[in-house]
Amino acid sequence: MAKNLEKPVLNALSSNQKNERKLNFLERIYLPEIFKGLWYTFKQMFQPRFTMNYPEEKWTPPAIFRGRPVLVEDHGKERCVACGLCARACPPLAISMQASETEDEKERFPDFFEINMLRCIYCGYCEEVCPEEAIVMSKDYDIVFESREDAVYDKERLLVPKEDLEERLEYLKTYKNTQFGNFWDFQEENNIHSVRDRDTDWNTGLSLVDMIKTQDKNDAAPASKTWK
Amino acid sequence: MKVTDINSRVNPQFQEKHQRSIYKSLEDKHTTIEDVDIDDPLNAKMILNMGPQHPATHGVLRLVLQLRGETIEKTKLDIGYLHRGVEKIAENKTYQEFMPYTDRMDYLSPYSNNVALCLAVEKIASVEVPDRAQYIRMIGCELARMSSHLLWLGTMVMDAGAISFFIWTFREREKIYDIMDQIAGHRFTVSHSRIGGVANDLTSDASAIIKEFITKFPQELKDWHGLLDRNRIFIDRNENVGVLETDKALDIGATGPVLRASGFAVDQRIITPYSKYDEVEFEVPTRLEGDNLARYFVRMEEMKESIRIIQQCLDKMPKGPIRSNNAKHAYPSKDEVYYSMEGMIHDFMMTDTGICPPAGAECYHAVESPKGELGYYIQSDGTGHPWRIKINTPSFRNLQVLENILDGEMVADTVVVIGGVDPVMGEADK
Repeated sequence: MAKNLEKPVLNALSSNQKNERKLNFLERIYLPEIFKGLWYTFKQMFQPRFTMNYPEEKWTPPAIFRGRPVLVEDHGKERCVACGLCARACPPLAISMQASETEDEKERFPDFFEINMLRCIYCGYCEEVCPEEAIVMSKDYDIVFESREDAVYDKERLLVPKEDLEERLEYLKTYKNTQFGNFWDFQEENNIHSVRDRDTDWNTGLSLVDMIKTQDKNDAAPASKTWK
Repeated sequence: MKVTDINSRVNPQFQEKHQRSIYKSLEDKHTTIEDVDIDDPLNAKMILNMGPQHPATHGVLRLVLQLRGETIEKTKLDIGYLHRGVEKIAENKTYQEFMPYTDRMDYLSPYSNNVALCLAVEKIASVEVPDRAQYIRMIGCELARMSSHLLWLGTMVMDAGAISFFIWTFREREKIYDIMDQIAGHRFTVSHSRIGGVANDLTSDASAIIKEFITKFPQELKDWHGLLDRNRIFIDRNENVGVLETDKALDIGATGPVLRASGFAVDQRIITPYSKYDEVEFEVPTRLEGDNLARYFVRMEEMKESIRIIQQCLDKMPKGPIRSNNAKHAYPSKDEVYYSMEGMIHDFMMTDTGICPPAGAECYHAVESPKGELGYYIQSDGTGHPWRIKINTPSFRNLQVLENILDGEMVADTVVVIGGVDPVMGEADK
């Protein structure tokens, strides 16, 4: 098993290994090295600027970004049925809720729903386990509070209309919802109680996308000019 | 003057018992007490406390140095300032819940830590991982290795006196963070690996940005070689500094690049290939000198090999699923959760109970993290929580080396040697 524990071996990958500790006269007097360093530093001035003037210029995160978790608001009310799974999955125990009953077909709703943003570590587990797609990660990343009480977000502050979360929902549909085993043909009627599927105009239904086709396209994506 | 009764001269205000025992152990360390001429300032002895708030100790490492003039006679390390009881927290979490905590251990290469935990759990619970997920993990691990080595390069060269170098390595590191953002959704605390696979597939943006990085990065690496390899000051500061002799390296417990710079090509990717490392070609660079300069060459060449591995992973990556399809081993897909009763039950069961390895099972699995061998030892009692997790972290082992190689060096070389060993205190203290 151990291929080379018995005796030490030299395995240098550079061709110049023999001389890497011996300097010639020019290198010993150091002057050329100074100019080499200065030249490299000088060249950096003409590189495109890499930083951003943060508060004035704001970074727009991609759809994959896990920002502040929010509750999805569908037709003026939350999709959440207060099953408590996100609170169970949350590693730092940031979420708390109380279930209550409603006349609506979904039968349950959260009486209160709180996320302590001081505890939240933005891991995205709440989104990953939610059986109703009721809590998703948004793009908000600069969250400030003036007091500790202020950091406990209630339902009012957590609810975001689904229209504003379109990009994230689309991302989830393409990359997170797809089956990775057998492609079963599910009946959408199986889930008539879910608020998620009532809106027929809004395409939230079954996302049996052709995974292989997406992967083919993505893996073949050419290198892009992101950093100039 | 004999430095024999340090304890009578100090007056610790904080954790007195611990402080006194540190000074006592410094006093007791391989010592031959001799009389020194007290009037000669070059011979004066002195106890120097460096850290835990010293910027050059890379975190909250405290060194207690006994100096004679400018020479370090002996050293004791004091660690534990960043102890958070991660191993104990793990006992109260399911394996899945514990995963984000591993991000915060070696915070310079979170991806390797995620993968290390997941591989250990997969080994103890015999979970099959799809090939595509393994290749995605390898790409993430190699990017994490480069990111960690870039931070080492910037700070180590800065410790040796070249300040602006830091900015250039951090610019490249920033690009790796952008890539991590596109792969996992976060720049720093990625939490991307899952038991049984990975959280999500590579998006088109992610593959484009990775490809761009691996075509551009070798040129930067070449420029840096050009700047440092023949630089007299850099070589003078690093050559024969902090030498770890080859015959001592294994006994002392060195690991990772520190061990490879002393001549042993010990690399978990070769010795016990995990994921798909047996299907890609790469070299393990070694040197025989064991000094700081050798560590520099080893790490620089490792970065080059990482590029090679990523290139091969992108070429070889198959199409297909990215998570295990066994509902007892991994989360079901969201389509199953939304539209089938079984899927929803599995979702609840995986969250509440989690994956249950057989009762009494135990396993150790190590990966080659950027700092060295990172191993998780798990004991299971058959529930979804680990009975005990012990984490074998490379920084902790390399700090052991640091304590021994500092003896006899000059005090000005301390920061360079710390930089060369590259410890991360989040990982050493756990």
